[in-house]
This record gives sequence, structure tokens and C-alpha cells, in this order.
Amino acid sequence: MDINKLKNLNAFISLTSAVKTGETEPAGAITYALADNICTTELKTTCASFMLKAYQPPFGSSAAQKLKEKGALLVGKTNMDEFGVGAWGKSSYFGAVKNPWNEKHTAGSGAAAAVAGGAVTLALATDRWGELRQSAAYCGVMGLKPTYGRISRRGLIDCAPSLEQLGIIARNIADLASALETISGNDPQDPTSYKGDVPSYTDQLQERVRTIKVAVPESWADAPYMTKEVKEAFANGLGRLNKTCFQVETVALPHLRQSLITAVIIGAVEAFSNMANFDGVRFGLRAKGNHLQEMYRLTRTEGFSSEIKQFLTFGALISSGNYYNDYFLKAQKMRTIIKKELDQCLQQYDLILAPTTPFKAPLLGDGDNVNNESLLPDSAASYTAAANLAGLPAMTFPLPSPGTDRLPTAALHFTAKAWDETLLLQTARLLENEQE
Amino acid sequence: MPEFETVIGLEVHVELLTDTKLFCGCSTAFGADPNTQVCPVCLGLPGGTLPLFNKTAAEYTIKAALALNCKVTPTIDFDRKNYFYADLPKGFQISQFFHPMGKDGFVNVNLNGENKKIGIHQLHLEEDTGKLSHIGDIMSSPISSVDFNRAGVPLMEIVTEPDIRSAEEARLYLQKLHSILCYLGISDCKMEEGSMRCDANISIRPMGSTELGKKTELKNMNSFRSVYRGIEYEVERQRTIVLSGDSVIPETRHWDEAKGVTRAMRSKFVSADYRCFPDPNIPPFPASAAWVEKIKDTIPELPDARHSRFVEAYGLPPYDAEVLTTSKEMADFYDGVLACYNEPKLASNWIMSELMGLLNAAGLEITESKITPAALGKLLELIGKGEISGKIAKSVFEEMFNTGEDPALIVEKKGLTQISDADTLHQIVSKVLAENPQSVEDYHGGKKKALGFLVGQIMKETKGQANPQLVNDLLQEKLRD
Repeated sequence: MDINKLKNLNAFISLTSAVKTGETEPAGAITYALADNICTTELKTTCASFMLKAYQPPFGSSAAQKLKEKGALLVGKTNMDEFGVGAWGKSSYFGAVKNPWNEKHTAGSGAAAAVAGGAVTLALATDRWGELRQSAAYCGVMGLKPTYGRISRRGLIDCAPSLEQLGIIARNIADLASALETISGNDPQDPTSYKGDVPSYTDQLQERVRTIKVAVPESWADAPYMTKEVKEAFANGLGRLNKTCFQVETVALPHLRQSLITAVIIGAVEAFSNMANFDGVRFGLRAKGNHLQEMYRLTRTEGFSSEIKQFLTFGALISSGNYYNDYFLKAQKMRTIIKKELDQCLQQYDLILAPTTPFKAPLLGDGDNVNNESLLPDSAASYTAAANLAGLPAMTFPLPSPGTDRLPTAALHFTAKAWDETLLLQTARLLENEQE
Repeated sequence: MPEFETVIGLEVHVELLTDTKLFCGCSTAFGADPNTQVCPVCLGLPGGTLPLFNKTAAEYTIKAALALNCKVTPTIDFDRKNYFYADLPKGFQISQFFHPMGKDGFVNVNLNGENKKIGIHQLHLEEDTGKLSHIGDIMSSPISSVDFNRAGVPLMEIVTEPDIRSAEEARLYLQKLHSILCYLGISDCKMEEGSMRCDANISIRPMGSTELGKKTELKNMNSFRSVYRGIEYEVERQRTIVLSGDSVIPETRHWDEAKGVTRAMRSKFVSADYRCFPDPNIPPFPASAAWVEKIKDTIPELPDARHSRFVEAYGLPPYDAEVLTTSKEMADFYDGVLACYNEPKLASNWIMSELMGLLNAAGLEITESKITPAALGKLLELIGKGEISGKIAKSVFEEMFNTGEDPALIVEKKGLTQISDADTLHQIVSKVLAENPQSVEDYHGGKKKALGFLVGQIMKETKGQANPQLVNDLLQEKLRD
């Protein structure tokens, strides 16, 4: 794939010198891209923000390092919403990313566009309340967010540490399983990293799976801005599931609909705190100010987009004074309830299945037509956010039902028990086989 | 004139003596070149702020919590205290807001012979900040520099209940706390170097009132003495305000050591809302009963226990016990002397007058003394056995202090052994009497002072080595003849 063909998609922020000089890649090498909030020593890491436009991290991401050691070839750093806040592709300092299937629509992220467009075998990106899975769905590729702690977060410039983690986007399940096996495992540098063993995902892909018990929440069609198109495509997809492999039942998950607002509140408060280090003192942009406070104010005013500032201000507000108890504390309690609800459901079922997003890839510019208080951009995370709140592994699998606009219409979103990525991969393999 | 009661609570920050910082592997050594002991974690670099918890710091804090009679938390977790300042790399300080390491403890202080318990509200672990430096005054300095070597050094904060009633009590509490922490060996507690810092919350109220008055927070006191002076000044200032009918403005005030006054700090910042919440990057760490018990076993005998032992087992006066147990090293030294020669009061006298006197004059710590406990024990034994006189012993002691030599060697080398041989002394006494007939006559004439002169002559003759008791006996015997 000629990387230059992807140029008009605006999928990459920077490319490695190997690609720039047109050097041919070693035969059989796995190529990969990294979202530009994953630190690398060879390329700048900008988080698609003016704040970090020239930032060169002194160390690289542990996960990316493992891919490199395996002989995979880094192609470049992909474009994204600034600091990964949003799945719209419009807050990037470097401009929006276009969907490879239809350039009038968003790709959600450069990582998904690069994989869907064939520029790389796979990409690593972050998932805070579903951005990785949403953009994979918009672009018709697979996206996995593993269990919280499965992949080291070292070297990830995150904004919401308790929700956000690295995930993988790929076109086929073999590549995805192999990448997961490579980058998983304990990292002593990450205190939240899981100490358990990493299963050999590639071997387990071949294993025969017993009948998988699937729970579909009865509220699956209730998300705000749910489109008729997605409803039909998802119902269709459900109907086509192989009855010998999948046993599908509808279940009540009454708190699922609270997961979006819960994740937004917790994410915003954590981001307000986590991004306080962008103060112009030690790295990144520094605006001139007559005194310290002014330097802070101007640095953050100039360095961040209005989307980020709105998000951080929201986080500052709901963690202050009385709002702390009324919103932030309640959100933390709701998080516990949601986690319990999902865990209980997953004691009886192997997987929870819902649409990945309530709508297909929005038109670029759609976000401009709604007022700022609209939930439209965030409502994309209506089904994905719960897995982040509960730390569970979740995966999106594309349905083969493009409309006349060539865009993927809907995708299946599976959530599994903690540490059971294996079942997600095996499920995806079954679906992949059916489609072939 | 209405009577007032002073109400004081102290917040003491203590840097822990761990080799590395609280959440990264950087060195905590004092005095390195600016920004040479830093890494992505303690600098708060993007993508690098995953904190790796230093278990030794927790151990030290639990040790202190136990020594201060606190209840220890069953789970160690950390919170973020969010605020912007140039010395705070991450824009938040990792601290323990919700679950402090220890709670509800106390410290005993000796108040004019009476014991008073000062309540410990809580004790918690947090990160120290970096250090700002300015050219002259902060407000007029054209630039400010920041050194992050200190950022992330483990800091323990100990907060008292508002139990302290005077500047003197505050000083006694601080000295006791200092002593306990030094015994534990978890901090070097140097107020001058900032490894122990004290802030005081001060208010006054009419005697008998149970309500708290408006308080001020006093900062920048860099010695026990300045804590005392600062509080004294601030209490008097508040009294004057209240007596004049005004009310105290609640504010942070700065102690000016040179001018001996407190000043309101010019602060541009509105009172902060720290938005504390559990740090999502630090998993809770269980403080198991077994682990806490193991830590408890490493706590040495503390000042109070040692004081009781010195009084009860050695029969020392409480004053001696107090002086000797204030520093662990001094108390260890004392125990060491007794292990060699068991005369508690004799040893205490020598340490408190001779040894402390010479150490003070030379500006040395007990740990720097060339005299070992065993050597002092030997010296006391020489006195006890009558081999040298007390007076000679003092000169031997001085020699030991300067050279660290063994007392027996000094005595032998200089021929200082006491002359206790009656025949030898007999001859000398006869000689001196023969040479001083006038004094003998004076003595017989009733001038008892003449005796002293004759003793002096004998001592001169023997270079001070004569056994004074024997000289006295012999002289009186001869003069009676």
C-alpha cells in the first residue's frame, strides 16, 4: 500500500524516515502505526495538540517497544482528536481525519483510517470510553480494548487514567491476536499492570469453542441519536448469528444507560487533574506571562483547543465545592453499581452484545451544526463506556452491510469477563470464518 | 483585664530518610546540583507519571504511627491534592487525604514535672515539592528558578489536636517529637536544613470558653527557638487585637526571625479547593497485621520507656534521666558506660558535666566523640578503685577527649597513678612540715586555714598524685603529735 494514497485522509501526523525515503519494508514484516499520544523516542509525540506540537519524549511506550523488539516496523504516528478527547476527529490541531470509505465522513481516528486504508497491518490507540472501538466501527475494522491492566500504560499520554488504556485495531483476527500476545504482560514500570500470565492467544484461536451464551441488553436500541439504519443492521446481524455457536438471550441491564454520563464525569475530573502538568514550566508550549499565573493561563489558553478547555473546565467544575458530592461522588458510586451489574450478568453469560455505536461515521461538519451542549459526539459511547468503567475486555467486529454511501453501517460490540480476551478473539474468529 | 487561653495545633512535616523518592528511583540525597536527581516520574512528564510506590517510606511512616500511639490504617492508599504552583511538577500532590496512615495517637510531654498528653490527630505520607529560589524578595525578583531534586521526596506530616496551650508546650512537644523520630532513625529531623518543618495554628479565647477563636497559621519557623518566639509574638499580637475590640483576621502569617515579628503573607491566591480524589494510578496496598507487627518489632526502646528504666533500674534523678534520654545516641552512650562499669550516678555526673561540657565547647555531637563508652567506663573504674584521684581523672578525661587514647595508657604514660603508699606519703608530709614551720605554728595557733595551705604544698610536691584522703589523715595525725 502506498502510504501517500492515504495522505488526503490526514491519517498520519508524522512518518518514520523508513517510509519517507521510500525504503521497501522487509518481506513479511508486520507494519504498525501508533496514535500520537503514545510516546516514541524516534518521532515526536504531539497528542494532536498545539501544546505538544514539538514535544519529543525522552522515553517510549512499553507496549510499542515490545512490537519493535518482535521486528514489527513503525510506519508513523496517527492523527486523533486532541488528547484523544472525542471520537469525532475534529478537535485535532492537524485537522480532521477522513474516512477511507467516504471522505465526507469522519474516520474517528487516524489509527482506524490507517488500518482500514491498508497503510499498516495494525495500530495501537487509546480507548477512554470507547474511542478506539467507535473509530474501528466507523472504518469497518476490528478493535479490541483488553482488560484494564493487560497492556502496560507506560508511555501513554492519557487524560483519564482509571478509564483509559491501550488497544489494538486490525483488519483480521490473526494479526490482532498475535499483536495482543506480543504487547501484553506485566510491566514493573506500570503499577496498574496485571501480574498474571499472558495466554498464547494465537494458539487458542484455533481451539473449538463450545456454544457461547450471549446476553443482549433489552435497552440496546435506546441510545440517544440511535439511527434506524443501525437498528436494522444490528437486528439483522443478530439474526444471522450461527445458532449452533451462539445462544442469544435478552437481559435487563438497567444501569447501562448511566454508563456514558458516569464515564464522562469521572473522565473529566481525572483529565482536569491529569493534564495539570501542562503548565509551560518543564516541557511543551510556554506562553510569555508577566507572572506565574499569567504564564499558566496564557499557556493553557493558547495550547489547548476549545474542546479540551471545555472538557477540563467541566472536570474542574464538577469536582469543586458542592458539585463534588452531587456529581463526582455519585458518578463513582454509579461506577461500582455498573461494574457489579456487568459482573453479575457475566456470571450467567459468556458475552454481552450490543451495537458498537448508535450511528455510523458522522459527516465531517455534523458536530458544527449541533450546539456545544449536545450529547451527539459523546453519545457514540453509549454502549462502549461501560467496559471502561468496569475494566472489562471489549471488542468491536464489523458487520458486512455497507449502505449506498459505502460506509460500514453497524458493528457488533462484545464485552467479556475480566481477562477473557481469548473468548473475544475466538468469537471474532468464528464470525470472520462465517463471513469468508 | 480579661484572661485568655491560648489554643495551638502544630503541623509538622518531616522528610524521611529513604534512599529513593516516594514514587520513583531518584536519589533523595541533599545538596546535589539542581535538577540532577529527577526522572520522567518526578518531573511529571507526559506519559511518564506512573508512580511506583516506595514500600520503605510506608514502613517508616507506620513505624512513626506506632511510636506516636496511633491506629494504623488497614489499607494504604493515596489521593491527589490538585493545585497549580511552579514547584509542583504534576499540578497535583500525591498525599493521603481520605485514609491517613495513622490516626488518634498521642505524645507525652513533661510539663514542670507533670505529664501532659498532646493528642495526634493524624499522620500521613505525601510527596515533597520542588524548591523555588528568587533573587531577593519573591515579589520583586525578575526571575525565579526551580529545582526539582526535592520533588517527590517522601514527606510525613504529623498533625496534633488543638491541645497545646503555650509556646513552651509547643516547644516541649516539638522536642519530644524530634527525639522520638530520631530514636526511630527515620528522619534526620534537621529544622535548619528543612528536613523537619513546623507550622502552627494559633488562636486565643476567653478563659473558660469552649469555642475556638479565629486562628492564624504561622509559617517559616526554622528552629525550636523560633517556634517558641514566633508563637509568643503571635499570641501577644492577637491579645492586643482582641483587647482593643477588633477581631483577628484568619490568615497565613510569616515569622520574620531577624525582626522578631510575624507578617501577613502577601498572597495572590484565593483560598484553594483541592478537589482531592483517590489517585487512579496507585492501586491500594494492604497493610497486613503481620507486616505491621513486624515493623513494630523493629522499634527501639523509646524516650519515655528509657526514661522510666533509667529512673527505676538505675535510680537516677528524673532530671538526669531526661537529659540523658533526649537523644538516643546519648542514652546509648550512657548504657554503654554502665555496661563496663556499673555506677549509674557517677556515670551520669561525668556525662552531664564533663562530657557534655567539652562537646558543647567543641561544637561536637555525641556521635563525634573520640571517647568511647567503654573508655569512660574504664576511667570511672580507675577512680572507683582509687587508682587516680578525681582531679587527675579530669585531666586524663581531657586527654582522652582530645586524642581518644585509653585512660589506663594515659595514666601510665604520664605516671599519674595516685600515691596511696603510706610510707612514701609519710616522708613527703614530714618534709613539707619541716619546710613550713610558720604554717604549723599558725595551725596550732588556731588558724585552721593553714591546713589547706599545707595540703596544697603536699599536692604540689606530688604533682597532684597524692591520695587526698590519705594526705588529710596523715597530716592531721602528724600535727597532733
